[in-house]
Amino acid sequence: MQASRARLFKEYKEVQREKVADPDIQLVCDDSNIFKWTALIKGPSETPFEGGVFQLAFAVPEQYPLQPPQVRFLTKIFHPNVHFKTGEICLDILKNAWSPAWTLQSVCRAIIALMAHPEPDSPLNCDSGNLLRSGDLRGYYSMARMYTKLAAMPKKG
Amino acid sequence: MVSDSITNASIHAAPNNNNAARDVGKKKRVRFQFPFPVYDLLLFCTRICIYWLIFSKISRLFGDFQARSAKLKQCKLDVRREQWLSQGAVKNKDCKAEQNGVVEERKDRNNHHPFGNLGMRPGGGESDGSIHHHHHHDSDLDSNSPNSLTSSVLGSNYSETNFTGSSSSSSSSSSGGCCSGNITEDDEGGGDDGCLDDWEAVADALAANEKPKNPCLESPPEHDPIAQSGSPQETTIGSDGPSFGVENSKPQCARTIPKASGNGLAWRPDDAFRPQSLPNLAKQVSLPNSNRKHYGCGGVPWAYSGVVSAPSSCPICYEDLDFTDTSFLPCLCGFRLCLFCHKRILEEDSRCPGCRKPYEHEPVEAEASVHGGSLTFRLPRSCSLITRS
Repeated sequence: MQASRARLFKEYKEVQREKVADPDIQLVCDDSNIFKWTALIKGPSETPFEGGVFQLAFAVPEQYPLQPPQVRFLTKIFHPNVHFKTGEICLDILKNAWSPAWTLQSVCRAIIALMAHPEPDSPLNCDSGNLLRSGDLRGYYSMARMYTKLAAMPKKG
Repeated sequence: MVSDSITNASIHAAPNNNNAARDVGKKKRVRFQFPFPVYDLLLFCTRICIYWLIFSKISRLFGDFQARSAKLKQCKLDVRREQWLSQGAVKNKDCKAEQNGVVEERKDRNNHHPFGNLGMRPGGGESDGSIHHHHHHDSDLDSNSPNSLTSSVLGSNYSETNFTGSSSSSSSSSSGGCCSGNITEDDEGGGDDGCLDDWEAVADALAANEKPKNPCLESPPEHDPIAQSGSPQETTIGSDGPSFGVENSKPQCARTIPKASGNGLAWRPDDAFRPQSLPNLAKQVSLPNSNRKHYGCGGVPWAYSGVVSAPSSCPICYEDLDFTDTSFLPCLCGFRLCLFCHKRILEEDSRCPGCRKPYEHEPVEAEASVHGGSLTFRLPRSCSLITRS
């Protein structure tokens, strides 16, 4: 427990220092609990998520970094590897491929990469996965774009 | 120098008191004048050599970065030659004949073997390393120097055979007495090896670099006097080693990153977003090859460890690595971490954070199996002990 706390403090400092370096990621620690983090990530360009800002919730276990943090989307997103209702993310590095060398920051980067490169073969969102697997890129794009505009972009007017 | 200043001080103080005291001081000075310059000379020489040793190591490092300009090398070469000659003049009192023998052997080696000219620095560094050992351990020059000679003669592969030769000689000469010294020295050579591989692969200007490398072949002989002068101060050399290894690993660190061929799900090979601080997934692919290569030359684990960067802080807990941690290499992939985190990981899932492969149960055993060269020397002893008892 002590080790995870120390490591999270170090990461917090690192995040403060690298804030300028990575404008796509904004990692914020909960004021009262260092094991709760939220992140705001920008949708990668040239994807249907471009222009959207997505909120992630991190729940860091006490065994961190030996155990991966639990991450989920708080913002609705239409993506084959994200559960549409719960926001759960299907990403290998958050499951069995986790390595203690990863940080919360790098997890955010991995999630951004996952948004740009969906894996329709292990879908949590079957509709999205089926669209991609059937080659209906246009359908996938328009659906994802619609939900990005609905949920992840500031409302106009 | 210190003694000189003391006498001067006494002389300066003397006129204030009276003339008699001054005379005494003068007499004293006359009396002691003879021995002091000798000591001064020795001190001066040794100091210069120590400074030069540090300087040469640093400048060698920078040489790696700066495309190794031939002119610089030539200048350094001249300086080294001067150093060597001056050192030889001092040392001639002690071991004139031996030195000459060694020097002749080296000259022979350089003349006879064309690949000595192609000669990469690691080879030179290694043969140099083996000579280091001779002086450190005060073993016979005659018995060991032919060893390195034959190794270079036999080898069609310059660096590799030199590695084996030196590793065998080092392990034979050091019976576990000062392992750290051996490791650091070999580390240095190995680091250079990796460095050269790296530069060969990456830099197009290698053909131009081959020429500047040529002066390097003469550097090994001139390393030697420094080793001799440094031998009274083994501690300084020992402490030099690791830091050098650390600095040396920087270019390799830069090397491994562009190699990333994303076979993980999260990152594509052409992904510009991939953070460089992440464990390199491509290591799984790229490292076994380098393993094989190094094993092929007779098991040089420190060469391998030199290839991998040595971080200043543990990537798991972000605490600074101390000396024990930096020399601790639990996994073949070269991922370093502190002993504390290693223990915690062993208790949990026991997988290396760098390559995600399960750790060997006994990292010491793993290292022993890796230390192919030295293991062959140690095993017979233990076996014979067992059979006796």
